[in-house]
Amino acid sequence: MLLRLLTAFALLSPLASQAELVIVSSPRSGPIELSREQAEKLYLGRTTTLADGTPVKLVDLPSGATRDEFYLKLTNKNPSQILAYRSRLVFTGRAYPPLEAESVTEARQWLADTPNLIGYLERADVSGNLRILLRLP
Amino acid sequence: MRQFFATLLLALAAGSAAADAPPRFGLSGFGTLGVVRSDKDDYHFRSSGTQSARGPGQNFDPSVDSVLGLQGTGHLHDQLDFTVQAISRQAVGYNYSPHITWAYLRYRATPALTVRVGRTTTPFFMFSDSLNVNFATPWVRPPPEVYNLNPFSDLDGIDLLYRIPVGEMDLEIQGFFGNSAVSARSASARLKNAKGINFGLVGSGFSAHAGYARTRLELQWDANFSQALTRLLNAVDENAELSGTKGTTEFFSAGFQWERNNWLIIAEFAKRRVDRYINSAHAWYVTTGYHFNNLTPYATYSQQIQDSPASGAKLKPTLMPLLDPRNNAQQGVALGVRWDIARNIALKSQIERIDAAPGSRGMFPSDVAADYLKPASPVHVFSMSVDFVF
Repeated sequence: MLLRLLTAFALLSPLASQAELVIVSSPRSGPIELSREQAEKLYLGRTTTLADGTPVKLVDLPSGATRDEFYLKLTNKNPSQILAYRSRLVFTGRAYPPLEAESVTEARQWLADTPNLIGYLERADVSGNLRILLRLP
Repeated sequence: MRQFFATLLLALAAGSAAADAPPRFGLSGFGTLGVVRSDKDDYHFRSSGTQSARGPGQNFDPSVDSVLGLQGTGHLHDQLDFTVQAISRQAVGYNYSPHITWAYLRYRATPALTVRVGRTTTPFFMFSDSLNVNFATPWVRPPPEVYNLNPFSDLDGIDLLYRIPVGEMDLEIQGFFGNSAVSARSASARLKNAKGINFGLVGSGFSAHAGYARTRLELQWDANFSQALTRLLNAVDENAELSGTKGTTEFFSAGFQWERNNWLIIAEFAKRRVDRYINSAHAWYVTTGYHFNNLTPYATYSQQIQDSPASGAKLKPTLMPLLDPRNNAQQGVALGVRWDIARNIALKSQIERIDAAPGSRGMFPSDVAADYLKPASPVHVFSMSVDFVF
């Protein structure tokens, strides 16, 4: 009975799509070097700066498949694990959640216009006025 | 205080309406709606000495875990921000009326060094900073065998946080200094000049904590039963020190969390040493769980052991059992499950079996002295709760 329930829940979870995700920033930022480890630290609220000490801000896409896949690929945590983890940081005032864009278009606009703002997009959504910092195949 | 809140909320609302990205102010909240019952009417489950007991133990009781919290944050300057958080929950000191849990200014002096001034949380345990945010943890509540060793949670003072990279991990060293006060079921108590140091190591899927604190302790018994007991013991031996302003206490805790391939292990050890008024004890727990997508079943074993009865009491050995009501030693086995039913809502359920140690009634308080003389038998406790963040 328990096993059947567990299987049912497993099937309910959304299947990850296979799109390539990339982490991007504005070309107006200075030269940015971003390792996968540093990106994970940033999105898990463990740091607010690049490896060289430059402060950066982060963008989140609205709730949905692309955002879930990004966190799963980068941090190995599913959506509820991410929120549980982050609520501990937020409700102690230790870290702020990333700025949440209302759409991919808004995220792309913010990222193109604002120096030292970092975000993620599907590879196909990246426009010419963005610089790719890291690929998450 | 109420007026202060109204003003603050208005300021926050005005701030967020006017702000463009990035916002200067934020308002968020969290909560738990939970019920607990035991299988014996004269055993009320209480996770902390700050909760009072009423009604039969077999009634579904919403007062143990239910909590609502609101938090406001704001950037004042690139390096300066503030956090204010208030909660409403049942506790002897503030019985559902708003209680400020965080209210501090934070100054990021350098990327590595942060100073916080105001009300923060005593960092005595690994999960001290999120005791009210049940959504953040797999359990219905942190194991009380460990977490009732220290009921003080507010720290009015200052702390320094210093962060050093250690390979792929980060080490955070925290030094703190301040005062704290708490109203408990049968006593009111203060920590004066509490000072301590904490080490936190955080890596990918792993974190560890170790902390030490030393503080002056003042304690006054105020419930009828405890006061009567104190009077009785003082009459027998006028040197018995059962309350006063001369206590010194040390607190130590260490623990880790590990998460990999959907497995989860959490373990923690804590010890309090007190030179008078209350007993010295240590406790530990181990939790293991597994993430099946949205379901996380877990199991916890936990134990609290008394090291010595209130040592300032200096009573004759035959009178020592009179101190038993101050001994909470017990062991527990809990099985539970967290079910994330929506992105920001988790449903939890837990069943546990608790055995009080010999000479203890465990964490089941009673105002009836005779209850402490009854032979111990296992108590089963059932809990159900909904945790949410917004």
